[in-house]
Amino acid sequence: MRDGRVIGEDRRGSTGKSMSGAGLEIRDLSKRYTPRRGVVVEAIRHLDLGVLGGEFLAIVGPSGCGKTTLLHLVAGLEQPSSGSVRIGGAAPEELVRRHRLGIAFQDSALLPWLSVENNLALPFKLAGLRVNRDRVRQLIDLVGLKGFEPTRPSQLSGGMRQRAAIARSLCLEPDVLLLDEPFGALDVVTRRRLNIELARIWRDRAITTLLVTHSVEEALFLSDRTVVMEKPGAIAAVVGVPFPRPRTPELLRSDEFHRLTDQVTLCLHS
Amino acid sequence: MEKTPSRRTSNTIYAGLGLVLFLALWQWAGKSGIGGPVLPAVSDVAVTLFAPETFRLLARSASSTLASAAKGLLFGSSLAVLLAIVMRLLSPLRPGLDRLALMVNATPPIALGPVLIVVFSRSQTPTVLAAIQVFFLMYVAASTGLAGAPPALRDVMTGFGANSWKRLLHLELPSALPHLASGLKAAVSASFMGAILGEWFGAPQGLGLIILNAMQNFQIRLMWAAVAMTATLSLTAFLAAATLEQAVSRRFGK
Repeated sequence: MRDGRVIGEDRRGSTGKSMSGAGLEIRDLSKRYTPRRGVVVEAIRHLDLGVLGGEFLAIVGPSGCGKTTLLHLVAGLEQPSSGSVRIGGAAPEELVRRHRLGIAFQDSALLPWLSVENNLALPFKLAGLRVNRDRVRQLIDLVGLKGFEPTRPSQLSGGMRQRAAIARSLCLEPDVLLLDEPFGALDVVTRRRLNIELARIWRDRAITTLLVTHSVEEALFLSDRTVVMEKPGAIAAVVGVPFPRPRTPELLRSDEFHRLTDQVTLCLHS
Repeated sequence: MEKTPSRRTSNTIYAGLGLVLFLALWQWAGKSGIGGPVLPAVSDVAVTLFAPETFRLLARSASSTLASAAKGLLFGSSLAVLLAIVMRLLSPLRPGLDRLALMVNATPPIALGPVLIVVFSRSQTPTVLAAIQVFFLMYVAASTGLAGAPPALRDVMTGFGANSWKRLLHLELPSALPHLASGLKAAVSASFMGAILGEWFGAPQGLGLIILNAMQNFQIRLMWAAVAMTATLSLTAFLAAATLEQAVSRRFGK
């Protein structure tokens, strides 16, 4: 889309992009830790949040506000102290057991002894499925790593590793995608380029996605809604992002985008 | 730790220089008679070693010792790795197994010799003692290695729904390989120690037996020749294991 300044017209659903993925329902969720006897740390406090099927939701917030904990709870990596998480009506563990979750974290967490191609084949193997080599190659192409199929992760740049990790998270066409600061360790330029690529990838598919990030710009550029969290573990604001898709680099330079970024940043610091 | 080729070359040169210096010192000490009749010159030991009759005897003994050490290495490490895997999959067993491994290690091998001769036979004792020496080293290497996969990789495995068997196969075993290779490097020397010690307890053949007999019969040159043979074997095996370790850590390390 050439004209990035047409704002406020939500074209979702009319651009022929396939809506897929399960809705997410978080009810009265709390998570407490007891690091020592008599010390209780509240990471998440009575949090309610609903995410529509196919929606891209970003979560921003200061360090230690519990956003990563929230993601871990949704991934079933940690158990809630109270309350519930339901993905398409099922518990996270159930979704994990059916291999319907895609994840990519700040550490690309590629297996260092496997080539890019075999790292992407891993989700198939873990799910006990025959490796779909065509899909693996398609995804490698999609994230711009064509030609690097036989390369080992240590030979790749940080940005390329994250691309591979994101491609890996898409292998099994997950119901829900969880991204925890996937570009957090990258420099600003690479980060912005990968954001633009991610927006392009999302143009054709709308997987229910939860993105945890420090960057307000990243959140607003990619998401349909952005949740601002505050300490300790509560939602301060939910921002509906009005920009139409497909989102292009022009959007990043538009006044509307800068205005909204400033507003959300203010909300983050208040 | 990657070493540059030039660095490796200079290391080899230093190692060679050290060996030459050591042999020269030994030769001088032997010829000057400073250590008396029990310290023959290295050239005299070499003459004894390469005399056809002694060489045949030593080669036969060496192959027997080598077989005991190799079998002990194989049994000891297989059992260790297997137990470490069982421990990984069935964590409730872990404390018991760890204590058993510690107990095995805490018992001095020299105290075990007579027991083993009674339980097994004189000819099996070298193998069994070698296996016991190897077991603890490899058990520690395997259980440390299997537990040592980075948490980020574990999280990804969990998130993709890997069960404990798949996690073992695709993450824990490959990431344990460098630990196992380092363990093997130490275990190789330990297996020779166990085998020679086992042979002292009256095995029908082997380098340990030759060393002991030669000492008791005051065949000083034969004793030194057998020791030299043992050292050469053990060192060669160690170098082979070190090469393997480097290859494995290149392939499976970070």
